[in-house]
Amino acid sequence: MLDWIQTLGESALSRLAAFGRAGQLLMQSLIARPAPFTMFPLLVQQLYFVGVLSLVIIVVSGGFIGMVLGLQGYTILVDYGSEQAVGQMVALSLVRELAPVVTALLFAGRAGSALTAEIGLMKATEQLASLEMIGVDPLRRVIAPRFWAGFISLPILTVIFSVVGVWGGAIVAVDWLGIYDGSFWANMQHSVDFYEDVLNGIIKSIVFGAVVTWIAVFEGYDCVPTSEGISQATTRTVVFSSLAVLGLDFILTALMFGEL
Amino acid sequence: MEPLSDIIIDIRGMSFSRGSRTIFDDISIRVPRGKVTAIMGPSGTGKTTLLKLIGGQLKPDSGQILLEQDDIPKLGRRELFLARERMGMLFQSGALFTDMSVFENVAFPLRVHTDLTGDMIRDIVLMKLQAVGLRGAARLMPSELSGGMARRVALARAIALDPDIVMYDEPFTGQDPIAMGVLVNLIRRLNQALGHTSIIVSHDIKETLSIADYVYMVADGHVIAQGSPDELAAVDSEQVRQFMQGLPDGPVPFHYPAPDLMQDLLQETP
Repeated sequence: MLDWIQTLGESALSRLAAFGRAGQLLMQSLIARPAPFTMFPLLVQQLYFVGVLSLVIIVVSGGFIGMVLGLQGYTILVDYGSEQAVGQMVALSLVRELAPVVTALLFAGRAGSALTAEIGLMKATEQLASLEMIGVDPLRRVIAPRFWAGFISLPILTVIFSVVGVWGGAIVAVDWLGIYDGSFWANMQHSVDFYEDVLNGIIKSIVFGAVVTWIAVFEGYDCVPTSEGISQATTRTVVFSSLAVLGLDFILTALMFGEL
Repeated sequence: MEPLSDIIIDIRGMSFSRGSRTIFDDISIRVPRGKVTAIMGPSGTGKTTLLKLIGGQLKPDSGQILLEQDDIPKLGRRELFLARERMGMLFQSGALFTDMSVFENVAFPLRVHTDLTGDMIRDIVLMKLQAVGLRGAARLMPSELSGGMARRVALARAIALDPDIVMYDEPFTGQDPIAMGVLVNLIRRLNQALGHTSIIVSHDIKETLSIADYVYMVADGHVIAQGSPDELAAVDSEQVRQFMQGLPDGPVPFHYPAPDLMQDLLQETP
């Protein structure tokens, strides 16, 4: 029993300490000493790796999820004779929930894990130490551009996910199942509010972008520099960011739509 | 030993521990300017840690590490980075930046720390690569190099800014005899030609003794012997002799501490 309490306390303490180190990392790499000019070319490079290369998975998933939503929505709504509302259903579920959450989850798997593994390997091969010895701060050179790239990419990817998803829904509902396209789009336009729905979805994705990339760069930077340590860190990135995204999604939804 | 003004790094009564394990216990080491100083000792005695302490990547628990007048552990971030521009370090793995070509790796410190034009940087990089015999490999990526070549490129990068001190972390480990000979030769030649101070951390006795001017032997957190290679060969200590001659058993036991063999064998499996 005492042992059990001791392990519990120990693991709680180490989690807290890790959280503190993560905060320190964020503080030192971003807020304390920004260097926008030297960072710009590095940022563009990372935007390509983190953002542009994630496009394929985001576009394909967005398209299929939109199509499934169209199909499922139709089969349910047609029983009540209100299949014209498929458009608004697809659009609302995408912009409010599915686009920010699914994009963030895919992003954690595609880009977050890659960031962790890359930074972890740089640590294991002493590249971070050698940067330090050359007199270059690895927090500025390696961590900061990667963090900002993730922070900027995820909201943009989320918007792309929504657009492709709505388009996928339209293909199924209008072109395949034959809903009148005028009512499909008009219903959607009528019920989706820019501030209430679109903007709130984007705010969610901004929060997710910060959290997922933060976890990814921290786990890489803080990993035990062995092959086992890197694999564990990569796993932790995906698990922690997925849990954080889902938990934060509930909190944000409650704050945004709670009083509706 | 040398007069004080010729000491470039002076470690005074420095202690360092990791967790509950003491790595250095009140250790004092002086590195003479312009010479090749070797720090030797069995694996796990914290030789690499010592280089990290000199480079300010780790902080000692107590004691001073003086680079001329500056106490490295007490320097602020900015001064520490300035001090590091005077040091070059050759990491055990080479630690080349894998996303840059050989040329860009060597050019990196110059691009970060100087305002030289592209042409001048190109000339300097080619000269440094020429010095390590790899000018022809400038366009290759680090993944295309052999281990020995990677270490030579890393050496070219370490001397790119003409540092006062070059630190070598196990430069001979895992090299074939030819690459080893090349490296031994290079370290000695560069030290003479460029006039910097070299610190070599190694457990390759023959190679290190052939180029070192002064040797510190470290074990169990203490300096157990010091002197020129000749003086060291004459030291009358079991521990030093075991290391220098590579004897499998001695003060450093062959067996990891364990209960009596007979007892262990007769014990029932629980």
